[in-house]
Amino acid sequence: MSPAGTMASGGGRRMAPGTAAALVVVGAIVLGAVAAPWLTDLSPLDQDLGGLNRGPSAEHLLGTDVLGRDILARLLWGARTTLMVGTLGTLLAFALGAGVGLAAIVFGRLTETLWFAVIDLVRALPATLLGVLLIVALGSGMAPVVIALGLSYAPLVALVVRTAHAREAARDYVAAAASFGGGRLHVLVHHILPNLAGTLVTQAAIVLPRCIVTESVLSFLGLGSSPDEPTWGRMIADASRFIEKAPHAILAPIVALVVLTTALSILGGRLRRALDPTRAAVAPAEPSAAILAGEGALS
Amino acid sequence: MRRLLPVVTALAAGLARALAIVAVAFFLCRVMPGDVVDVLGLEGGLTDAQQAELRAALGLDRPVIAQFVDWGAQALGGDFGRSVRFDRPVAEMLVHAAPVTLELALGSFGVGIGLAFGLAIAATSLRSRVLDAVIDALNVWSIAVPTFCAGVVGIIVFSLWLGWLPVIGSLVLPILIIGLDNAGQIVKLVREDLAEAVMLPHVRTARAKGLSPWRIALVHVLPVAAPIALVLSGLVLSGLVAGTLTMEILFGLPGIGSLMLNAVHGRDLPVVLAAVTVVAVALVAINTLVDALHRLIDPRVTR
Repeated sequence: MSPAGTMASGGGRRMAPGTAAALVVVGAIVLGAVAAPWLTDLSPLDQDLGGLNRGPSAEHLLGTDVLGRDILARLLWGARTTLMVGTLGTLLAFALGAGVGLAAIVFGRLTETLWFAVIDLVRALPATLLGVLLIVALGSGMAPVVIALGLSYAPLVALVVRTAHAREAARDYVAAAASFGGGRLHVLVHHILPNLAGTLVTQAAIVLPRCIVTESVLSFLGLGSSPDEPTWGRMIADASRFIEKAPHAILAPIVALVVLTTALSILGGRLRRALDPTRAAVAPAEPSAAILAGEGALS
Repeated sequence: MRRLLPVVTALAAGLARALAIVAVAFFLCRVMPGDVVDVLGLEGGLTDAQQAELRAALGLDRPVIAQFVDWGAQALGGDFGRSVRFDRPVAEMLVHAAPVTLELALGSFGVGIGLAFGLAIAATSLRSRVLDAVIDALNVWSIAVPTFCAGVVGIIVFSLWLGWLPVIGSLVLPILIIGLDNAGQIVKLVREDLAEAVMLPHVRTARAKGLSPWRIALVHVLPVAAPIALVLSGLVLSGLVAGTLTMEILFGLPGIGSLMLNAVHGRDLPVVLAAVTVVAVALVAINTLVDALHRLIDPRVTR
C-alpha cells in the first residue's frame, strides 16, 4: 500500500513526515511558551544597554534588538501571549458561533432568525475594522483583541455549524429520537452533537491559525496588547522601524510566526481529511460552502 | 419580475446592513472611556472649564442618539465633521487619502484575480501537474504567510540586499504581495470549480459533438463558472481591507488605512468614524452588488 493510502485510512500507524514535523514544531512552540520562565532567566523587557542591537552570542542566543532586549526571551514570552489570545479568540468564536448558534436554532425559529441576523451583520465587518472599533471603545489590552477575534470568526463557525445541523436534523435517526419522545435539547445534545463533533474539530483547526495570524496583524498595527506585553506581531512592528539596522530582530518573529501557522495548517488539513471526508464534494452553485469550509480568506 | 424580486430584496438587505453597521460603529466610538478632549487636556493642560467648553463646542455633551442623527444627516451630505487634531474637514482628508488606497486595492485585486484565473484555466486546459503543484504552493503560501510578513521580507530582500526599488512609498511591492495572497486564497476553489465544470454532462456532450475547445470553454463552461468567479471576486475585495491596511503602514503609504490608524492612536474620533464608515459601507455595497448580480445570473441561488 502506498504511503498516501495509509494516510487516507485515517488510523494509520505511521505518520507522514510532514505531519510529524508539524506536530513537533507546534509541540515545541507550545512547550516553549508554557516553560518560558524556566527556559530563560532573561526578561523580555529588560534592556541590556551595553549590548544594543547585537547578533547572536552566548549570552543572547538570538541576539538583542535595537533597545537591547533579548530576542529569544521576547519570542518565548511573546508565544505565550500570541497562543493564549489566539486560543481564547477561538474559544469565544465557538461559544458565539456554535454554542449560542445551536441554542438559538434549537430554541425556535425567531431566535434563530434574530441571532443569524446579528451574525450576518458581524460578518460584513472585517476583523481589522472590528479590532479598530473595539479598541477605540474598550481601550487597548488583551480583552478587546480576544473579543474582536471571537466576533470576527464566530460567523464562520456559526454558518458551518448551521449547515451541518440542518444536514443532520433531516436524518432519520433524529426523527426516530424525536418520536421516542426526546425533547429538542435532548436530541441536540445526545444525538446531533456527537455527529457534529468532526465538523467542530475541523473548524477549530481552521479558526485557530487564523486567530493567531489576525492577532499578529492587530498587534502589528499597534491595536493589540500593551507595549510591556511582547507579542510576535508587536515585535515585528517594533523592529520594522529599524529593518536596515537590525534585520535579525525582525526576521526572528517572522520566521516563528510563519513556521507556527504553516505547521498548524498542515495539522488542520490532516485533521480535516481524517474527520470530514464528505467535505470534498461541493456543488458549483454553492461556492460559499467551500469558502466557509475554510479554504478562503485569511489575513 | 420574478427574477428581479430577489435582486431588490438583496439590495434592501444591503441597505439595512450598511445602516446597522454605521450605527454600531458610531455607538462604539462614543462609549469609550475618555474622549478627544481628555487626550488634548492631558497633552495641552486644559483646565476643566476649558474642557467643558470644548465639549459643548463639539456637541459631545448632548445625548448620543441626537449626536448620531445629526452626524448621519451630515455624513449623507458628505460632511464628516472636522478632525479634532488637525482642525481640517474629515471629508477633505478622506478624499486626499482615497486615491492611494484605491490604487493599492484595485491593483492587487487585478493581480490576484488575473493570477488565480489564469493559473486555474491553464491548469485545467493543459491538465498540468506542475501547474497544480504551483496552485497548491500558492494556496499554502496565502494561508501560512501573512501579508505583512511577506512585506517585511520583501523590503529586506529587494531594498536592502538587492537595492532595487525605493521600496518605501512605492506601490509595486505591496500590490504584488497582496495580489499573490488574494490569488492563493481563491485559486484552489477556482481550479476545483473548473475541474467540476468540464466534467458536467452538457460539456461532455459538447466535446462528443466535436466542438472546438474554445467554443466549449466560452459557450459551455464559462456560464457555469461565472457565478463562482463573481462570488470569489467579492470575497477578494472584502479581504483586501486587512492587506491594504498593513501594507500602508509598513510601506508608509498615506492611504485611508494610515489615516484611520493614526486617528485611532490620537483618539481623533471623527476621523476614525468616517474612515470606518466609508470602508464598511464600500464593502457592504460591493457584497450587496455581488449578491444581487449572483441572484440575477444564477437562478439556482434563490431556488
